[in-house]
Amino acid sequence: MSYIDHYKKLIEAEFKANKNFYFMRAVAPGADYFIENGFPLKKKGNERWKYLDLRNVANSNFTKSIYEERISNDFDSVLEKLASCGINIVEDEILIVGDYENHLSGRNFIEPEGIGASSPSKTIIGEIADPEEDGFIALNAAVADITSFWIDENFSQKALNIVFAGQSQGDRLSTERICIKIHANTEVTINEIHFDSDFNTLNIPVLEIYLDKDAKLIHNKVILGSEKDMNFNFTRVFQEEGSYYENTSFCSSPSIGSNDIKVIMAGQGSECDLRGIYFTNNKAQFNTHVTVDHLAPNCKSNQFYKGVLSDESKAVFSGKIFVERDAQKTYATQKDLNLLMSKGAEIDTKPSLEIYADDVECFHGATAGHIDESGLYYMMSRGIEKEIATQMLVRGFADEIIDSISDSKIRKFASNQTELILPSLSFK
Amino acid sequence: MDKKILEIKNLKVSVSETGEEILTEIDLEIGSGETHVVMGPNGGGKSTLVNVIAGRDIYEVDSGSIKFKSKDLFDMTIDERSRNGIFLAFQYPSEIPGVRPWQFVKAAVDAKRKANGDSELSVREFSKIYDNNLKEINISADLMKRSLNEGFSGGEKKKNEIFQMMMLEPNLVLLDETDSGLDVDALKAVGDAVNKMRDSKRSFLIVTHYQRLLDHIKPDFVHVLINGKIVESGNYDLVKKIETDGYESFS
Repeated sequence: MSYIDHYKKLIEAEFKANKNFYFMRAVAPGADYFIENGFPLKKKGNERWKYLDLRNVANSNFTKSIYEERISNDFDSVLEKLASCGINIVEDEILIVGDYENHLSGRNFIEPEGIGASSPSKTIIGEIADPEEDGFIALNAAVADITSFWIDENFSQKALNIVFAGQSQGDRLSTERICIKIHANTEVTINEIHFDSDFNTLNIPVLEIYLDKDAKLIHNKVILGSEKDMNFNFTRVFQEEGSYYENTSFCSSPSIGSNDIKVIMAGQGSECDLRGIYFTNNKAQFNTHVTVDHLAPNCKSNQFYKGVLSDESKAVFSGKIFVERDAQKTYATQKDLNLLMSKGAEIDTKPSLEIYADDVECFHGATAGHIDESGLYYMMSRGIEKEIATQMLVRGFADEIIDSISDSKIRKFASNQTELILPSLSFK
Repeated sequence: MDKKILEIKNLKVSVSETGEEILTEIDLEIGSGETHVVMGPNGGGKSTLVNVIAGRDIYEVDSGSIKFKSKDLFDMTIDERSRNGIFLAFQYPSEIPGVRPWQFVKAAVDAKRKANGDSELSVREFSKIYDNNLKEINISADLMKRSLNEGFSGGEKKKNEIFQMMMLEPNLVLLDETDSGLDVDALKAVGDAVNKMRDSKRSFLIVTHYQRLLDHIKPDFVHVLINGKIVESGNYDLVKKIETDGYESFS
């Protein structure tokens, strides 16, 4: 039986149990697309995934995780896990963990003001993340666990934390779909945290975010991976006029996976800042895929990514700036800088611009290099040991991104994670 | 004064990558508390000499020896040399993104103290010395909030080198064209800082083209380095000879 047949059965079983008709507009096309195309394994004409070896993804027949396995039924163990990372959910913060029947729940989630579950007829599922865009998103749509909610300007909590606790059993597939509608004039911070799993698991979380007029979202994302888990992480954002979206990602690579972000700038005068750092080691393969679609005039977007690659790992950065004919006065930048810590590490960085408007300013650049030898000499000439000097150089390289994480707890968390990674990084 | 801190014998050095010979024959002895100046035209090997002493690995030592405090220098790594008391003020100090000067200097001072078996300075003790030295060399505290040497002017970088020298209190200071890129005031500040540190336990090897730094720092010995060879050594009078006759008179 091919893996597609396996997932076809899974999809059909989910269909039978399916709870809600309104979700079908995303579920049905996703199911059809996946059954027809499967995972994006093809090398030909598949710019996005061709540098990754996805065969392992298709070789295992994962079964759908059930809610109780994916996250503990009480929040206490999640809180404990967070606390050990220095993240304490305080009273003015909310913690939610994707729920099973589209009810919102979590610590401090007793009818707070300004946030609520979207009624099924009003969910934005499938409107921003096109179920036919990609095999992963399609599979997520076909068997999604949906959490759909809105936030409005009465929301006064400091931050909303969405935690993916890491699966506790092997050969499981997790397909969380979080749909968030942020109303006009609302400012909110969302921290999205993915813990690693010691098991062979396939995680395909999709966040779908709608920003209404003049809304502002600070989105901090932490992906922690292990040598066993796979995490294909998608964020799809739609921006209305005057809105602001900021995404800062800290990725410690899973065995294979991606941080895949697409922002559609549909309303004029909107802005987005997308930045992140990825660490890859062992034989990990990690894809950072960032697309900004400028559809309206006077928008501004910045992409700034950095990678630290060691051992025999491989990273891909593919960044795209697309400027529609009407999107005059667009200002868009893109930068990807990589530090190769070993001879066996590999980066494929592919910036791309597609511009149909004539009055635009676009900049892009990419670099890949080893540790700066003259910098290392300089530091050692002050008595600092080579290993420590190397770590300080890597740390300095990473800090430019880490320091820009606006949520202090997440910044500290990312900083601590970096400290854990550094000792393994002396040049090999 | 007799105790030799640095003894270079019959040193021959080439560039590892190209095999190009830079230093053909260097013999130089520096005693404790002495200040030596090496002058010479561009490309003569002045910078190579101080970088070989500091341990830069782009050079190949073809023959000869260097002893520092009677120990074979070639047995020591770059960082060990520094912790043992060698300090090179760079001609072109590196910019280190994301590393703050405070953190950098603290790491350097900690490493040296640890190697000497001294306890680590508390942040408070360290900061006091740090702030005092900054003030003395006249570097603005705001500048030091940036990444190390990033956005520093040429003169500020050189002053930062001298500041690090003051923090590390080395026994042998190598100044590699520290005077280039300095305005009159900065030149005086550097001169004053160096003079203040001159004592019987500290020696200086200053590499320069011009005499202007030597108006502030009076050397005990002057050497002329041309084509990888010291062609003449003498006292301060030699500086005047160079100023009037140029380097051509030595070849």
